[in-house]
Amino acid sequence: MPIYEQTYRAYDGKPLQGFRWWVMVKQELRILFGTRAFVYLLIVAVIHTSFRVFQITVYDMVSVSSQTPALMALKNVAMMQVDERTFFDYLRIQSSLVFIVTLFAGSGMICNDFRDNLIEIYFSKPLTRLDYIAGKTITLVLVGALLTAIPDTLLVVLHNLLAPGRETLRETYWIPFSILAFSACIVLPCALGVLASSALFSSERYAGIAVFMILFGNSALGTALPELVRNPNFSIISLPMAVNRVGETLFAQPRKSFPLHWGWSALFIGLVCAFCCWALASRIRRAERAS
Amino acid sequence: MAIVELKNVEVSYGATKALRGVTCTVEGGAVGLLGPNGAGKSTLLKTLLGFIRADAGEASLFGFRLPAQALEARQRLGYMPERDAVGRKVSAVSFLTYCGCLFGMKRTDAMERAHEVLNYVGMGDSRYRKMQTYSTGMCQRIKFAQALVHDPKLLLLDEPTNGLDPEGRIEMLELIKELVTKRGVTVLLSSHLLPDVEHVCDHMLVIHQGRIVREGSIGALTTARENLFEIRVREHQETYRTALETAGCVLQTLPNGNLLVEKPALLDPRVFFEIARAQNTHVRHFVPVRHRLEEVFMQAIGRH
Repeated sequence: MPIYEQTYRAYDGKPLQGFRWWVMVKQELRILFGTRAFVYLLIVAVIHTSFRVFQITVYDMVSVSSQTPALMALKNVAMMQVDERTFFDYLRIQSSLVFIVTLFAGSGMICNDFRDNLIEIYFSKPLTRLDYIAGKTITLVLVGALLTAIPDTLLVVLHNLLAPGRETLRETYWIPFSILAFSACIVLPCALGVLASSALFSSERYAGIAVFMILFGNSALGTALPELVRNPNFSIISLPMAVNRVGETLFAQPRKSFPLHWGWSALFIGLVCAFCCWALASRIRRAERAS
Repeated sequence: MAIVELKNVEVSYGATKALRGVTCTVEGGAVGLLGPNGAGKSTLLKTLLGFIRADAGEASLFGFRLPAQALEARQRLGYMPERDAVGRKVSAVSFLTYCGCLFGMKRTDAMERAHEVLNYVGMGDSRYRKMQTYSTGMCQRIKFAQALVHDPKLLLLDEPTNGLDPEGRIEMLELIKELVTKRGVTVLLSSHLLPDVEHVCDHMLVIHQGRIVREGSIGALTTARENLFEIRVREHQETYRTALETAGCVLQTLPNGNLLVEKPALLDPRVFFEIARAQNTHVRHFVPVRHRLEEVFMQAIGRH
């Protein structure tokens, strides 16, 4: 007679309700941070942030205490100036990195689930399509925020810590809100676009190439069309330019992109996001039925 | 309360009707879902999972109506799909822990359960390996384990022995049987392999062209045939055989040496013993031949 019987115990715990998407987010982040290439990409992102930290530190230290003429001259160098433009530029430059990181992290997120037939496993659990889509999207949004909103807000905090006072606070109190809104404009269409592409293509490579080609084509069209029709407002069809236009308004920057009201750009970004959500939801619904 | 209840369920994919007025009830035990390809077995399972909305009729699991209360129902069921379905980049422990968390278990509980269940399905040694290195049989066990991780009351198994070697197949069937007999889990097993169903299930549903064409307990469906018997006598088999032929029986010698005897409808079976006595021998083996499950199945789908 065996000394023990191979079995498993009954589970009598009470299952937690709701927030299934958070379980997905945690799992996806765990997988991403376990990938070496992803960590390297994040390290690359730190290089730009380090430069901005250096810029703010030098500028603030000079502003507060230095009487040295050389340092005073440094304060007048445009590149070393710290104002709302600094935080806007930081996000603008980070946006390319957000695109690359999101492409790396998200292009396989859904198509790999299709390939591995995991959709029917997931949906046999108490998980809704909304949970699934929210889980994947929030993962990419968090990754995007890690490159945009979080470090940029910390830069604002650093600026206030190094140059404390009512003056700095008055100049910067609104910037975190602008950072949040502009980051959302950068990260959301990027995340949803990559996920929609991942849902529509069978391999992560194809999904990545498709997003890249669409964005490249869109930017090219956004540059060529205004020249062809001699109307700069047609630049709005370029997603990066539309995002930039919203950014200019949020950070109270002089209008450089095109003269059309920023509301149209915001509407365009919203429509892109809505289309991606629709494509994503309908593809997953089809996969659920066909699983 | 019935665990599975379907009333006149109709499902169609465009113009194609996949289920036509399916009505059945599962109270417990192990039920085999049999049917040829395209009969509607997978559609039935997907309807029970709430993936597909029925065009007409009512479906419920544990009293929860589908698909409106599918989430509550899914909390109590485990599903093992037919196709290979495992996350390649993670280990089995990580995958099962994740599945447990999706059921609403705390991470520590889910991890503990993952280890237990992996040991239970015989994957204890390979649990930390990434699943992309697993063989088909191992993936099959992982699929089974993920269905068990939250201790479900109902298991929907779609071809659970696919890709398993003979030894693995027997082990898998024994595990399923043990779940039914010792743990009281209700199993709905969809399979093409009739011996698997016969080994595990006590009831079966035969589905064909979207309709349930035969249902009932396997014991009752494989009833004894009226006029067919398997007989062995101690000695003088040839003379006994001749005497039976004279009495109007049709005989055939089986590979094990026994005689397969089909008697005329009006002949009393006691005659077999009387003839044996007259031939100065004894009947050592006398068994009425039962209908085989394969015959019942073929008959049900109209191919006999």
